[in-house]
Amino acid sequence: MAWGGRKYDAIVIGGGHNGLVAAACLGRAHRRVLLVEARDRLGGAAATAEILPGYRVSAVAHLLEGFPRRLERELKLGKHGLRYAARNIPTVALDRDGKHLLLPRSRKEFSAFAAHLPKDAVAYRDYISRLQTQAALVAPLFAEAPPKPGDAEALRQLLRRLVWRAELGGGATLRRLMRILPESIGDLLDAEFESPLLKGALAFDATLGGSEGPYAPGTAFRAVCREAMRMQGQGVRLPQGGMGSVVDALAAAVSAQRGEIRLGARVARILVEDGVAAGVEMEDGFIVRAPLVVSSAGPRNTLLELLGAARLETGPAMQLRAPAPGGTSAKVNLALEGAPQFAGLAPELHGARLVISPSLEELGHANAACREGDFASDPVMEVTIPSMSDGTLAPAGHHVLSVLVHHVPYDIEGGWPARREAFVQRVVRTLEHYAPGIGDLMIAGEILTPPDIETKYGLAGGDWHQGDVRLDRLFGFRPAPAFGRYGTPVPGLYLCGAGSHPGGGVTGLPGFLAAEVIAAETSVKRTSVGQLDEREPA
Amino acid sequence: MIPDTLLPSPQDEEVENLHPEIDPLDERAAVDPALFEDMRAEPVFARAVLTSPLHLAVAAESRTNNWTVWNGFTTPATLTDLGDEYRALRGAAALMDISPLVKYRIAGRDARPFLDRLVTRDLGALEVDRALHVVFCEGNGFVLGDGLLFRLDDDEYRLVTEETHLAWLLDSAVGFRVRIEDVSATLAVLSLQGPLAALCLAEAGVANIAELLPFAARWTEIAGMPAYVSRTGASGDLGYEIWIDPDDAPHAWRFLLEKSGPYGLTPAGFDLRELARLETGFPRAGKDYLSAFAAIDAADARTPFDLWVEPLVDFGKPLFNGREALRRLVLVEPRRRVVPLVVDGLEPARFAAVHANGRLAGTATSIGFSPALAANIALATVDAAALAASDLAVRAERREGVSVREIVLPARVLTEPAWNNPRRLAIPAPLKA
Repeated sequence: MAWGGRKYDAIVIGGGHNGLVAAACLGRAHRRVLLVEARDRLGGAAATAEILPGYRVSAVAHLLEGFPRRLERELKLGKHGLRYAARNIPTVALDRDGKHLLLPRSRKEFSAFAAHLPKDAVAYRDYISRLQTQAALVAPLFAEAPPKPGDAEALRQLLRRLVWRAELGGGATLRRLMRILPESIGDLLDAEFESPLLKGALAFDATLGGSEGPYAPGTAFRAVCREAMRMQGQGVRLPQGGMGSVVDALAAAVSAQRGEIRLGARVARILVEDGVAAGVEMEDGFIVRAPLVVSSAGPRNTLLELLGAARLETGPAMQLRAPAPGGTSAKVNLALEGAPQFAGLAPELHGARLVISPSLEELGHANAACREGDFASDPVMEVTIPSMSDGTLAPAGHHVLSVLVHHVPYDIEGGWPARREAFVQRVVRTLEHYAPGIGDLMIAGEILTPPDIETKYGLAGGDWHQGDVRLDRLFGFRPAPAFGRYGTPVPGLYLCGAGSHPGGGVTGLPGFLAAEVIAAETSVKRTSVGQLDEREPA
Repeated sequence: MIPDTLLPSPQDEEVENLHPEIDPLDERAAVDPALFEDMRAEPVFARAVLTSPLHLAVAAESRTNNWTVWNGFTTPATLTDLGDEYRALRGAAALMDISPLVKYRIAGRDARPFLDRLVTRDLGALEVDRALHVVFCEGNGFVLGDGLLFRLDDDEYRLVTEETHLAWLLDSAVGFRVRIEDVSATLAVLSLQGPLAALCLAEAGVANIAELLPFAARWTEIAGMPAYVSRTGASGDLGYEIWIDPDDAPHAWRFLLEKSGPYGLTPAGFDLRELARLETGFPRAGKDYLSAFAAIDAADARTPFDLWVEPLVDFGKPLFNGREALRRLVLVEPRRRVVPLVVDGLEPARFAAVHANGRLAGTATSIGFSPALAANIALATVDAAALAASDLAVRAERREGVSVREIVLPARVLTEPAWNNPRRLAIPAPLKA
């Protein structure tokens, strides 16, 4: 493989899924792309790891929620080997007493739900339809690059479209959306529902991946954002072979566009010549030149370290100092020598997304504990058993369990080395309560605390959003106002990671939209990505 | 019934027993003097009323007891009489304590790149022991402040400003190996201005002072005390500033007055400094323009192009704060400008509103009566469109006894500074008037 001799049009820093998507899309736009990844494998937090030989599981991210179909088609990911083990995975809120709650997706499931929670059924239907109308309003904003700051015409068009869409939806939607912007999901749910379990599960979804508790202002809007993000994809999906297979398909797509991928190549510095991005200097001093440098690394890492705050004006550099990312989720992956039995859960629902968040109070306690640098006595978590629908992950009859534990601090009192074991015990104890005997089935386990996720998978602070998804850090303000449209004050240097609009999660959207903006702003050649612009996103 | 307060409080007994090893009746016991020192810890920035290190020396010269505040420091407005002080400044020399200026020491191997990004001006020509007038802007191209930048050593600079900018300097220092210190309290400054300034310093034993170039500086001795003397000062005339240890400063002040008093060296206050500045046409931060962060109304923020005829912006540098915004601003005409005005009328008047075509067009921010022009002069922020108007005028208040009369005085934009003597830049500096 040629290293220095070849000329590149673009260098993509970081081989996470967003970096790969950006590289593949730039390749489609006829750029010769070099992708450099510091680690020995691609994918970042989207990876399949082996717990034991024969037991494989999605290491960090474990569900595909908002991966756009458009992207799948454009990059021909199906051809490159992406298969789904399960589509449209249901969500079940696990109840302490075995009266689990399946969040309904169909009329039939709704009648069961209504029988279970007669008082909340109508409210739930209203809530979901309202959430979906609001999310439908926001969703197109997530599927397109935010307007250029200072471009009044683009902003006017965007707002006009937004208002039009709202008017078509009855006009009240926008007003209602405005009203809930500062609201907390806890207050919203308390006003409408009785069942603590339902409230706990809905609030869990709204706060997952963030550092706020259910009663924090702005979390109601996060629920809308989450739903809007889901609308980008087609239901919750489970890729066959774990998250790693998404990354493999993306890597194949990059190669299909004649992109070059270099592993174990850590960038030390982004080179700037005459105020314009000129290439990168690798850690071993090797210099690769390209007029375009696209970074999927965190915005702070990219701009304050690789580029250097000294190469930015004071104002933009200051804007980046504020959102210090801090992950609040841990991952526990378990290998089981047998099928776990969740008490009271129908066998066909064992493949569902199981949410353990019994009430708003417990979610709030977990958040409070996390803020004080401790994990909760009753951890709140999201459990999947991917091997239920994907036989390739574990030997027949054996299973892997993937647990995302929410509200786990990055800095823990006493330090993680000392508290790890206690943490695993607590997670297993909680699981044991819902699935008696699961402890005896355990043959191996892997625990990834937020610092582990940082060191093993390269997520700064263990935060998959590269900076909280907050009202003031969305759209054109993500990660900061000066970097809102993937571009930076340095011409030729772009951001394409989760720190940019629309945010974290295995969606590929930041990479995709960044490539779109780059192709439009640096259109030296005829591009095929340009054609995408004409199509109005769904 | 005994009031509660007369009963011995239970706490008193406890206090007595706190130090049983100390016998309070032992008169010969060794006493640690530290016990009697004032131990109240004073936070550095808690003090609001500040006095210059020269305060007592300066106060000794005051005949008017007329004080004002400058950057929080008690400063004499006038020491004797503004007219006398002015005559000394223009005819002989005036000595002023300008220690309330804000001084930052910027040192470290990245000091030069740090300053390159901070200020709009190219610092390539700044040699060691030289000073430059610099302007620094925020990201939108609005001026945060201006000041004098001294290069003390290869990697050591001193920035002297009118207002404090520490937060901005520290924010800007991220990513640079640079150390920024506020040295305002540990550095006293004397300003010696006037046609005989060089002579006064020569009399005080400073050798070869005449050879010091404008905007150059060097270390020397005054009465055996090390002092850094620079040929700077905004008086429009020959002048020097003496940077000296605060402990030495009062002695230097007295020594200079003693040695050069016979040549007419006169101590002066803040009013004279303001008048001299006004005659030279230098806008002062916080008075004639607001720092961009202090301007609540965005229209009150000024760009370098509004403020200075030669705005000291160098687009040859690839990066400095506000560069992109200033590149756009340089192409458009300023909306408002800060200009020197001369106002008709033979006696001092008070005014603020500037009118053009009978409509309010601006504000005079610094006013004064210039004896040099025998007219009222001002620095005013005026709408650029109104500058061309033929009938620029100010609404002045004229006091007669206790009554006040409003009069309209015609005004003109001053094209030349009211005082700009070629002596200022003469080489060598003249030792005679």
